[in-house]
Amino acid sequence: MPRRPFLRAFVSPAALCAIAFVAAMAAVLQFSVRAYIPGSLDPGGFTLVNFAALLKPLYGRVFLDTVWICFITAVCTLVIGYPVAYALVRAKGAFLKSAMLIVVVTPLFLGEVVRTYSWIVVLGNNGFVNTVLLKLGMIERPLQLMFTSFGVVLALVHVTLPVMVIMLAAALSHIDPDYERAAESLGAGPIRAFLSVTLPLSTPGIVAGVTTAFAWTFSAFATPQLIGGGQVNMVSNLVYQLGFASFNFPFAASLSVVGLVLAFGMIALLRAGLRPLEAVGPQ
Amino acid sequence: MKNRAETSGIEQKSAPPAGGQGFVRLEGVSKRFGDVVALHEATLDVRRGEILTLLGPSGGGKTTLLNLVAGFLLPDSGAIHIAGQPVTEVPPYRREIGVLFQNYALFPHMSVAANVAYGLRMRRLPRPEIARKVAETLALVRLVGLENRTPRQLSGGQQQRVALARALAISPKVLLLDEPFSALDKNLRGSMQLELKEIQRKLGVTTIFVTHDQSEALSLSDRIVVLSEGRIRQVGTPGEIYRRPTERFVASFVGDVNVLRARLEEVDGEAAQIAIGAAKLAVPAGTLRGCAPGAPVELFIRPEQLRLAETGDETACEGVVSAHSYQGGHVDLHLASEAAVSGRILMRWPGTEAIARWPVGTRIAVACAGTEAVAFPASPS
Repeated sequence: MPRRPFLRAFVSPAALCAIAFVAAMAAVLQFSVRAYIPGSLDPGGFTLVNFAALLKPLYGRVFLDTVWICFITAVCTLVIGYPVAYALVRAKGAFLKSAMLIVVVTPLFLGEVVRTYSWIVVLGNNGFVNTVLLKLGMIERPLQLMFTSFGVVLALVHVTLPVMVIMLAAALSHIDPDYERAAESLGAGPIRAFLSVTLPLSTPGIVAGVTTAFAWTFSAFATPQLIGGGQVNMVSNLVYQLGFASFNFPFAASLSVVGLVLAFGMIALLRAGLRPLEAVGPQ
Repeated sequence: MKNRAETSGIEQKSAPPAGGQGFVRLEGVSKRFGDVVALHEATLDVRRGEILTLLGPSGGGKTTLLNLVAGFLLPDSGAIHIAGQPVTEVPPYRREIGVLFQNYALFPHMSVAANVAYGLRMRRLPRPEIARKVAETLALVRLVGLENRTPRQLSGGQQQRVALARALAISPKVLLLDEPFSALDKNLRGSMQLELKEIQRKLGVTTIFVTHDQSEALSLSDRIVVLSEGRIRQVGTPGEIYRRPTERFVASFVGDVNVLRARLEEVDGEAAQIAIGAAKLAVPAGTLRGCAPGAPVELFIRPEQLRLAETGDETACEGVVSAHSYQGGHVDLHLASEAAVSGRILMRWPGTEAIARWPVGTRIAVACAGTEAVAFPASPS
């Protein structure tokens, strides 16, 4: 490749990473079809018994819960994130813009564990929300917020929001404000102008944002682990329990494989479902 | 307010140009952005059915004025009326205006027909009526057969027609055009200008047109408003603006002009006698108020108002040919002359003979061909 002298040099780190990923995935895949020998960390012979065991309703339930939590999180993030992204893009003044961006992105700066612990401080029985509501006399007993899917979704929305806002803002910033002005000059009030012009034009951003939010949430571990506290389990929590509490690596591996396939399947389904929407947006 | 749904077709608004006064009316309208005065105390009447051009350099306030009429901006002070109704506080979507944006702003996710139908749908007209008006308007702008294309599949000129059709379909009270031709190449620009003028005449829609291109303004407008630094400098017909500018800025912004050093002889009522070299010239006295006879003045005279002095002519000034520039139909003759404030004089000569007759370096005498000129007090320098 004489005309691209740096291509090889630039591609090789990515290639090395890819090789490492593929090797790791191959190891997991390999573990998933080996037999579990109780009391030993080494796997036994090849078998499909792990996958058969996954058919138990207990595991099906966890998969369903995971998909459901991801779906709710993606939808909530979209609903909350869209106005924020819109304000971010349309805000006048560089200072206001940067201030909003920093507030939006902050959750990404905090480590996952720190962020999750701060939610425990907010949601716990003696936490901020319950204390305030108790002092105001609005409730008599603390609300159960920890160890509920509500708490888990809340914390997941918090961490997914920056990603959603950034993806939506990128899409919205490509929409010329003259489109809205044109709509208004033609008799559309601000709400109709938004619904008939800006919203359809932003669908590529919505599709990208929802898909990413879904994938982002599917792999969540610390948040459901700490806030769900064993009451709300997602796929990664189950993998952790099987792998590091029971040391059943083959079963954990098979669960991971199925989880991965499920995640890909759901994202493919999501994209297919959102495709009609995308056809509305600009090419 | 009249219900648009009851009006029939888009030709119902035919009104003779320059009919009643002040169809669009601005009274002392001001707008600032921070410390910058974008528009200062603008008072203006746009007559029913006319094409009024806002002409000026960028930052002059013309786009601000247009956006104020459209309702995209609210004035800091002053009042705006459209068709006798106060609209100062009325949002754009209730002003019944058609806007042609500089970049057209066609909705990319809608077909040509849907773009044109948009304003009619917002007015909740019945479907058959929308279809009829869309077809009618597309025929008007000669786009029949392209209904189902998307804007992306159209050429620049076609996109502009769609944008014009979309703005006209709602039978707007006022049509606002924001530098609509700046994105087109030169040949297309000329034909689109003609076409726009024809359509505007046909519909008789009151039109406000923003441009920084003075030749476009001269050829397209019924009247021109010259703006600079947020102030209205002069309002008049293209002829008045070109031939009788009332301000130094207008004289130098619109068209080519020579600025020659001259002297005020006397003021006699509305006319002032100017002496330049051996020549005498009568100009309007209005621009020379406060000047005493004998005071130095600057004479603004168009290239076509100058000619070569022949025997018996009174010579206004002399110059040395410094360059020719062949323009096809005529030759621009550049003279170096001390009589000009800039040191240069521009003359026009039809045909190409000037190049051979007066080669570079020839000294020639210049006379005034007409009396169309204006004078301003000499700028302190």
